[in-house]
Amino acid sequence: MRDLVLLAFVAAVVAMGFRRPFFWVLLYIYVDIVTPQKIGFGIITSISLSLLCFVAAFAGYVLLDSKQGSRFTLRQGLIVALLGWCAITTFFLADFPVEAATKWDWVWKSLFFAAFLPLTLRTKLRLESAALVMVLAAGTIIISAGIKTVLSGGGYGVLTSLVDDNSGLYEGSTLSTVAIAMVPLTLWVAKHGSIFTERKLAMTFAVALVFASLLIPIGTQTRTGLICIAVLGVLVLRSVKYRFVYAGLAGLALLVAIPFLPASYTERMSTITEYQADESASTRVAVWRWTIDYVQANPLGGGFDAFLGNSFTYNTRQTVELGNTETVVYQEVTDEGRAYHSAYFEVLGEQGFPGFLIWLSLHGLGLWQMERIRRRYKDSKDTGEVRWRSLATALQQGHVVYLVGAVFVGVGYQPFMFMLLGLQIALYTLMKRDWQGTQVQPKPWLANQSPEGQPPEGQPPKGQPA
Amino acid sequence: MIDYFSIALTHGLILLALWRLMPRDELDVEGAPAEKASRPWLKDESGEEGSPDA
Repeated sequence: MRDLVLLAFVAAVVAMGFRRPFFWVLLYIYVDIVTPQKIGFGIITSISLSLLCFVAAFAGYVLLDSKQGSRFTLRQGLIVALLGWCAITTFFLADFPVEAATKWDWVWKSLFFAAFLPLTLRTKLRLESAALVMVLAAGTIIISAGIKTVLSGGGYGVLTSLVDDNSGLYEGSTLSTVAIAMVPLTLWVAKHGSIFTERKLAMTFAVALVFASLLIPIGTQTRTGLICIAVLGVLVLRSVKYRFVYAGLAGLALLVAIPFLPASYTERMSTITEYQADESASTRVAVWRWTIDYVQANPLGGGFDAFLGNSFTYNTRQTVELGNTETVVYQEVTDEGRAYHSAYFEVLGEQGFPGFLIWLSLHGLGLWQMERIRRRYKDSKDTGEVRWRSLATALQQGHVVYLVGAVFVGVGYQPFMFMLLGLQIALYTLMKRDWQGTQVQPKPWLANQSPEGQPPEGQPPKGQPA
Repeated sequence: MIDYFSIALTHGLILLALWRLMPRDELDVEGAPAEKASRPWLKDESGEEGSPDA
């Protein structure tokens, strides 16, 4: 039954795509996030759905779509450079070539699609529709997980959304980070969307979805999610009008929520400050130290999954009750092949300094570009400009939440977040096009500034640098 | 049951969104006349009196 519904859905979108080939790009976004081939039971599991949609999206753009307005920008160049560097570390420098090749299989798609997506998002409506599909697709997993949390309370590694799987968005910590990072985008789509214009209904849905998103860190009992919520709370302070009212309401909501939290959750969260007694937290610190040593010996990186070569011994400190006395016990633990548990160390260890620098500049530039749009439209009253400023804010907030969550979760190449970068690139390109349409940038170093006259509004001259 | 609800809700909304996007020419050409309202089931929705996208 589930298979039939999912296949019928995919078939319907494919059919509609013959009129609007761009829909195949949206279909790939959906397939990559929800992975329907995993949540089905029968025939759908045996089709390479992801690859088919990928080919359809790419071929649809190359063969059927207009390229007017498509721009290849600096950040897309950075993604391609990162992709190229990953290929080099995978095929020439990998410590574990077999495992590296396995990870390469999905990473290259994630990076390639992130570089390709902005080319297809060449109109504002396309950008909006991609944001909407991302929210709804991730919503499929989040709504299910949210309701299950309310009904069962969830548990670390226990809560299963649509499928009992520990990869992609179905992994607890990753889902927590992505769910919280997506909150601002969800609200933007409901508040400023032109596809669903029934504002009240859309906002009701968005508020419910945001509530479900906030439940994910509770359901999956991941500490990272809690940190992400805190970061988002602080970030929102920056953009709300009535800061004190907001802070008061947020505090009140927190006070009301605490009694409803499951006991196992509050117990686990209280260990955030007791990292010395916690094996999971202790290993992280040990792996990070190992990575720093490793990358000094191998500055070009060790390819995907280079962490498999690590082995270290460390002590955990625990307080044990013996009768009426409490004793501190140090336990020696030896670990091998522990994962990075941090996107920063993941990229540093796997791609070395060159890959890490590209990765960092990709993210840094994104934050700066969104800030530029925000500043430009800071005092604008124009509804269109306010709308795009809000989108820049939403994408920036989601990005910061991800960058903070990424300190504790290995999500360095997470496809959803790379799609979010794709949206940022597209938004910045579209905004620059608008800016160039309204004013001509002075270029005194050019003798003949515009030999062929002014470009028509909304159409920059060909070969415009990004 | 919960999974079915979640799948039905979001997939239904995605289909509805695509259905509403289908007649909008601004999807493919920036500045194309916008639809007055995205209600393709109504006959008089040819979008002749649209305004350019903000």
